[in-house]
Amino acid sequence: MSHDLRLERLAKTFPNGTAALHDLSAEIDSGAFFSLLGSSGCGKSTVLRLIAGLDVPTHGRVVWPQGLARLGFIFQEPTLMAWASAICNVALPLELAGVPVRDARARAAEALAQVGLSGFTTALPRELSGGMQMRVSIARALVAQPQVLLMDEPFAALDELTRGRLNDDLLRLWSECRFSVIFVTHSVFEAVYLSQRILILSARPGRLLADIQNPVPSPRTPEVRLLPVFNATARDILAILEDRVTC
Amino acid sequence: MLTPLLRVILPILLCVGLLGCWEWSVAYWSIPSFVLPPPSAILAVFISDGVSLLHSAWITLGTTLMAFVLAVISGVALAVLFASSRLAEALLSPYAVTLQVTPVVAIAPLILVWVGLDRAWLAVLILAWIVAFFPVLASATAGLKAVDPNLRDLFRLYHAGFWQTLRRLQIPSSLPYLLSGIKTAGGLALVGAVVAEFAAASGNTSGLAWRILEAGNRLQIAKMFAALLLLALMGIVIYAILSVIEWLLLHRWHGDRRNNS
Repeated sequence: MSHDLRLERLAKTFPNGTAALHDLSAEIDSGAFFSLLGSSGCGKSTVLRLIAGLDVPTHGRVVWPQGLARLGFIFQEPTLMAWASAICNVALPLELAGVPVRDARARAAEALAQVGLSGFTTALPRELSGGMQMRVSIARALVAQPQVLLMDEPFAALDELTRGRLNDDLLRLWSECRFSVIFVTHSVFEAVYLSQRILILSARPGRLLADIQNPVPSPRTPEVRLLPVFNATARDILAILEDRVTC
Repeated sequence: MLTPLLRVILPILLCVGLLGCWEWSVAYWSIPSFVLPPPSAILAVFISDGVSLLHSAWITLGTTLMAFVLAVISGVALAVLFASSRLAEALLSPYAVTLQVTPVVAIAPLILVWVGLDRAWLAVLILAWIVAFFPVLASATAGLKAVDPNLRDLFRLYHAGFWQTLRRLQIPSSLPYLLSGIKTAGGLALVGAVVAEFAAASGNTSGLAWRILEAGNRLQIAKMFAALLLLALMGIVIYAILSVIEWLLLHRWHGDRRNNS
């Protein structure tokens, strides 16, 4: 199976001496849904920042066998420009790349429709709920047609119901667009529900504890949460985490 | 309850009443006009010397506006330099602070000597600029530092250039800070211009400050009042215009604060 990128013995120590990540290697298959699972502060976000090129690893490297992929990044907060309407926020990546404004706006409108916000193109971020702001953020990541989507605990701040809806929408978008996803989360159930493969990281400095091929069948619908295999997988992962997490 | 109409009418009535009291007291206690001239005498000065006072006001206003525009441009430019280079900030900010904390009246004679007495207007402009410059620099620097680091990363991720980041992220994001600094700078430019005119008072500057000094020397107190009134009006108008600009640029973004839960 071809892969988009390979992490080769990645390590990151910050200038203040904090070791965030230790010797992480993994291959990210094209079109796969990956979760990086671990407790808070175990360097999960650092992995995403290294992949995105926003930080430089202390050791090791990120290899792109087919050349640097188009990236989308979704932060824990919606991270929208407060002064710009939803459509202007979504059109930003295209306009920065030099796409004419008219085309960029048309594609942004399509992306907003994809996330179910076609009626809110002119709304300002403060006029939208937290879940809707996150949808705008997702539309902005999708508009540039990313090959790899990096998500840094994107739904952690949302309520349970909104989070569930966004999980299902994300799965639908992923099956339609077939980008690969690297999804950082500290929720075991979210990881088991969403992903095909789960990389479990230890507490700081983060190192790979387990690389699990998720046995839960696809397509994922809310009903799979009731399957015995879902609960068994979640229990196994919790056992791995609790065994090793010392803090 | 105060209706909008009463909100306008009551202050005006109070003002008229106070002016009436003033006029009456001056006449009743026969206060000499070189101590306190009655409002009617001040009005008379406006009628007799209005044109020349307005001419002086025009000069002071011109200096103020030029100093203000220079302060905004240079303050923002230096703040952008500070935001993009820590080294530049470390090297230059001590000088900016030194310039700010040194009383402008004390610098005035030096600047005046440097530019020459025959170009006193330039000295006044430079001094007014020094006074107005710092609040713009300080607020713009604070605003640029307050840009959401995640949004900054997003711009980096999409390979935004320097000007793209400045125009689409840094300027709009720091606008609330910047505009409050600009509002302060508008008032300070006028203060700076007047103080500089006082300090440079040599007859080569003919702004309102010089007219106040001149009238004071001749004990034309009514004229002093007239000039003061013009200065106050100028300050109010500058502040009002800048407040309206601030509202126009920000009200949609921040919205009605009551709805901002």
